[in-house]
This record gives sequence, C-alpha cells and structure tokens, in this order.
Amino acid sequence: MYQLDPRNLRQLRRAPLAGIGANVFFLGLTSMLTDVSSEMVASILPIYLVYAIGLTPLQFGFVDGLSQAVAAFARLASGPFADRWRRDREVAAAGYGLSALCRPLLLAAGNSWGLTSLAIALERVGKGIRTSPRDSLISLSSDASRLGLAFGIHRALDTAGALAGPLVAFAILAALPQAYDVVLVTSFFVAVAGLAALLCFVRNVPRTLHGDACDDRPATLVAAARAMLADRHLRALLLGGAVLGVFTIGDSFIFLELQQRLSTRPEWFPLFYAVTALAYLALAIPAGSLGDRFGRGRTFLAGHALLVLAGVVLLVAGGHPAGALAALGLLGAYYACTDGVLMAIASRFVPVEWRATGLGLVASANGVARLGASLLFGALWNWHSMEFAVTFFSIGLAAAIGLAAIAFARAQVRE
Amino acid sequence: MNPRALAFLGIVALCGAGIAGYVMRVRNQAQAAEAAAPQASGRVDALPADAFAVFRSTALGATYGHVMTVGLAAPDGARSLTPLACERVHYAAGTGVCLRADRGAVTTYKALLFDARFTPGQTLPLAGPPSRARVSPDGKRIAFTVFINGHAYSNPGFTTRTSIVDAATGRYVVEDLETWPVTRDGVAFKETDFNFWGVTFARDGRRFYATLGSGGKTYLVEGDLQDKRMRTLAEGVECPSLSPDETRLAFKHREAGGAAGQYLWHVAVMDLASRRVRVLQGEQRNVDDQVEWKDDREILYAMPLDAQRSAAEVDVWAIPADDSSPPRKLLPYAFSPAVAR
Repeated sequence: MYQLDPRNLRQLRRAPLAGIGANVFFLGLTSMLTDVSSEMVASILPIYLVYAIGLTPLQFGFVDGLSQAVAAFARLASGPFADRWRRDREVAAAGYGLSALCRPLLLAAGNSWGLTSLAIALERVGKGIRTSPRDSLISLSSDASRLGLAFGIHRALDTAGALAGPLVAFAILAALPQAYDVVLVTSFFVAVAGLAALLCFVRNVPRTLHGDACDDRPATLVAAARAMLADRHLRALLLGGAVLGVFTIGDSFIFLELQQRLSTRPEWFPLFYAVTALAYLALAIPAGSLGDRFGRGRTFLAGHALLVLAGVVLLVAGGHPAGALAALGLLGAYYACTDGVLMAIASRFVPVEWRATGLGLVASANGVARLGASLLFGALWNWHSMEFAVTFFSIGLAAAIGLAAIAFARAQVRE
Repeated sequence: MNPRALAFLGIVALCGAGIAGYVMRVRNQAQAAEAAAPQASGRVDALPADAFAVFRSTALGATYGHVMTVGLAAPDGARSLTPLACERVHYAAGTGVCLRADRGAVTTYKALLFDARFTPGQTLPLAGPPSRARVSPDGKRIAFTVFINGHAYSNPGFTTRTSIVDAATGRYVVEDLETWPVTRDGVAFKETDFNFWGVTFARDGRRFYATLGSGGKTYLVEGDLQDKRMRTLAEGVECPSLSPDETRLAFKHREAGGAAGQYLWHVAVMDLASRRVRVLQGEQRNVDDQVEWKDDREILYAMPLDAQRSAAEVDVWAIPADDSSPPRKLLPYAFSPAVAR
C-alpha cells in the first residue's frame, strides 16, 4: 500500500513522470490515433449511410444490439489469450488491426446492407479484443505507486483523439464536399499509423519482472473468475463495481434530460458529448495522480459522488445553461475519477499471471451492471418520469457508495 | 536514429502519401465527372408555363445538391439552377420545402420554406437527417420526416419523426405525428414503438395518408388535419403517394429476399375504391423512395446510377402506373422530384 511520505512526495514533485514506462505513452499514442480514426468515421456514419450509400438507418437497429453483445464477449475472450501466451502486445495489435481493416471493408461494402453491418460489427469486436491486453500492458509498464497516473495519461490521450476525430472529418468534408470515401481512406491510414506506433514502440513486459511464477496455470475465464471471487480484495472490487454500476445513469440519459430541460435540439448532443469529453480530458491525469496520492479506492468512490452531484444539479438547475454546463463538467470529472482509476485499482490486486483476463472481468462486471442500469432507468422513466428516475438513481447511487465504501474498507481496497 | 523510430516515421510518411494520393485521385475523378455531367444553363428567372419538375441535381461538381427545374415537355432540355442546396426538396402551388444538412463539426439539419421565386422564407430546425418531404397540392401544408438517433431509449438505433407545418406561418400543425390518436378497426391503437413516415396530402386540405410502423409491420394510415386523428387502412404499405386524380395510391411494397437479408422494395399501386393492390413488375430493381406522380399515368422514382458504387449519383425514372410498358430514365442526375402542375 502506498504511504503518503513527505520524502516521497518531494521526489514525486521533482520527477513527475518517474515510474511511468514508455509503453504507456506509446499505447496512448496508439489509442489517440485509433480514436481519431474511429470517431471520424462514427461522426459521419449516419449521414454517410443515409445519403452516400442510401441505406435506411432503421435497418441497423437490431444489428447494433447484436454487435455490442459480440464485442463484450470479445473483450472477455481476448484476455485469456494474452495471459496464456504472455503476449499482450500481439493480442492488442490484432484488435487494433481488425478495427483498421474495417475502414476499407466499409468502403468496399458500398450499399450492401450485410457487408456494411459486418464492417461496423467487426470494428466493435476489434475494440473489444484490444481493450483488456492494452490495459494489462499499461499496468505492467508502471510502478505500482503510479498506476493511477499511468491510466490517467493513457485515458487523456485516448479522449484527445476522440475529440479530434470529428473535427478531422469535418475539415475533410469542408474541403471536399461529399467525399465520404476520402474520410474513410484517411481514417484507415490514421489507424494504420496508430497500429505502427504500437508495433514499433510498445514492447511486451516480461511478467517475471512482476513476479510471474510461470507455473503455466491456464488462464481461463472461469478459473480467473473463481480465483477473483475467492480473493477478498477482488471480490470487494467486483461487487463494489457492480453495485455502483447498477445505479449509474448512462450519459445518453443525462444528455436527453438536459436536452429536454434546455429545450434544445438533438443536434446539440455532440456538443454535450464534447463538453463532457473536455472535462474528462482535462481531469484524467490530475484524478489519476490524486488517486496515487490519496487512495485510488477513495478517488473511485469520490468519482461516483460527483455523479450523484451531477444528478442533483441536473434536477435543480438542469434548465439553466450554467447548471447544464456544471452537470456535464461533473459527468466528465466522474469519468476521470472512475474509468482509468478502476483499472488502476484492479491492477494492484489482479495477479500478474492472469492480468488481462482479470482486468477484463472487472471492467465487464461494472459494464454489465451499467447495461442493467440503462434498462432499469428506461423502465423507471417509462413508468413514471425522468425526474423520478434521476432521483431514484441518485439516492440509490449514494447508498451504493456507502455500501462499496464499507466493502472497500473491510477488504482494505482503499490503498 | 533508433531503427524503430525510423520505421514508425517511414510508415507514417507512407500513410500520408496514401492519403494525399487518394485525395488527388478523387479530385481528378470529380473534375472528369463534372465535365461529363449535364450542368444547368442558367439561373432560374421565370418558372416554365407548363408542368415542370423541381428536383435535386446529383451531377457531381459545383452544383451538386442544388435544386434545379426543368420543363416536363422537354425533360432533356435546359435546366435552370436555383440558389437552394438541399438533401430533399418538394414543391407545389407556389410553396416549396428544402430539407438541408449544414455539415460542420456538428452537422445540423433544417427545413427551409421557399416560394415560387425560390426565395428562402422561414426555417425550422430538424431533429435529424431528412428522409421525406411533401407539400400539399394546395401549397398550404408541408410534411417532412427525419431520422432521429437516440430518440427512444427503448429502441436501439434510429427512429423517425414526422411533422406537419403550416406553410403560411411556418408553425407546426403537429410537431410529432405520434402525438395524434390512431384507431385500428375502430379501436384505439397505441404502442411505444410507433414510427410515422412518408406523408402524402389530398387536395381538400384535410385528408392525408402516411406510413405507420409498429411491431415490425407497416400500416397505411389515413389522417384528418382538422380532427387531428388517424386510422389504419391497410398493411404492408410504405411511403404512399396520392395520384393527382386521387383515385390511387402509389407506394413502396417490401418483399423478402435480396442479398444478405436486404429488403427489396417494389413500386405498387392501390386502387382506393376497391383497395386492390398491383405490384408493378416492370421495375425489378430496389425502389427505396417516396414516389411522385408525374401525371395520372406515370410514376417517378429515384434510382442510383450505379447501385454497387454509391448513392451520390441518382437518376429519376418513370414507370406507367398500369405497368403497361417498361420504365424509362426521365431525368438523369436528378433526385427528389416534385411535379408542379
């Protein structure tokens, strides 16, 4: 457990990036380029499908749900491969490569509904494959005391790419109207550059450095899940993450509520997203660093408290532009304090032998709970009202924070 | 220099060259296409005296997406260019509607009303990418359908929203058709997955038809603008279009089949008195459009120039409503036709 020691603190101030491996920055570069690539496609996809290809967006509804399920499965399945072969880099590269290949596939698909759906689904699968081994590599490339900062740096670079992507697509279409194919081709080459950054600069970290016993215990999902439930830290983290996830309001709901309260038009959605991402980008590194100093578990819980606050601001002042801005800023701060921080906490407790598998499981436990939360939120909204659903979730999340805090304290996940 | 860094810079340089090369190719192709495609001869000054078509030009080049007009007596004749650029356009009796996409970092959509001189009037913000547009034969009402993403949390993907606007004031008669009651066989009919699209108006200023989608089925609904209600008439009807003599509805009829589970739509015509439906066999390609009647005999619809390549270049075809002869290409490089009679 990291102790707050004045001598340490001085040292940290002098060398702010000590203990963060080069891998973290290069993985950040890869993620940034890949997000530029994927978000530039995502931002034009609806208009591309309707006007350039002539497909009816209604045809895509059911494919969407299916591909999300497949992607979630890919996220869980890729971890064991990375762990068994001890090759995080190669498995992550396969995921980045698959996503990159989807750009030319989308272009070649033309107006074939089946091939277009396949390209969109495979890009999600690629994202699913790469996530766990990439987070595993970040964790293996950083000092245990700097994990929060390491994930913060990675997530900040990642978010910067996601913000830049739509702007790049816009710049291309402003210069070359109707040139959706140019957007897709550019996106492909940007993704290739991202993959090149991974292949040229990122190296596998020998897990023996982290005490890998090399006993060839097969890393399987079931074995890892069983071992995690037997470990009191990880059990607390899994259950705490799940309980918090169950009462997490999805950002699309927050955007919808803001849109109703401000009486703005749906076209403002991307702006809401941009404000949230900006706050996330600005706070990811400070929040990670804060976690390293004062406890990642505390930061994770405090992040959820910020989400409760976002819900309260939404209810009280969501109709006022300043209130809306505050709610979005709080939402971004929530992401900064939770997304990378959860992986940083898990990295401390998941044994190195099945690091990728374990990180995937922790992320999935939280993710599945959040998916359930979306259904619950929708049902409450349908049954009563948006205000009721927000109130219910805010109270529920406050209670969940209390529960998780007790679970974390008992298992000493505060660190 | 570190060989890895060198390799990375080399790949990045190749990627940059790849992008630059593709951009050059696209530019050259666009210039060649611009030289080959028919261009408008001049600005619109006076509308043709006889029946004419208002449409969106799909000839690549500087005027791509601009609204043009051409006299239907000589559809191959000179086209007139208007200052409007639209994704969808419709026009009747001195009233026009132009659904536009203002592409930007945030793409926004709006409906622009215009008059017989193509002077822009009121604008209304749209909630998503435009799909269908119709002006009533008397020019007093405008209907449009847009796609909405994330409109309903219960339904992943897209939904549609159909609005009807009073042309004189630019105010909504109904902003979302889903708010009006529907009856099926005389019984109230309401589901959370309701979607409306593709309105067509009758001459009396009251009656209209539209598509209602729910539970995987599509219904033809007949609505009343004064009573603000609708009732279902038939199933399996999409994007109806009322003939000028108001005896028939032309619509797109979905059939299973097509590659990879893709829907295949045919043009069909329903006789309103007998409700008898005839699916036109003359056109076997996929017709995904809200068709327009050229007159009481022929039906107009859009068809991509090369369906395999892109939907950017589209032609307007005409097929006899009685299926008596094969379809013919009426307006090359044109989309979203409206016939002004």
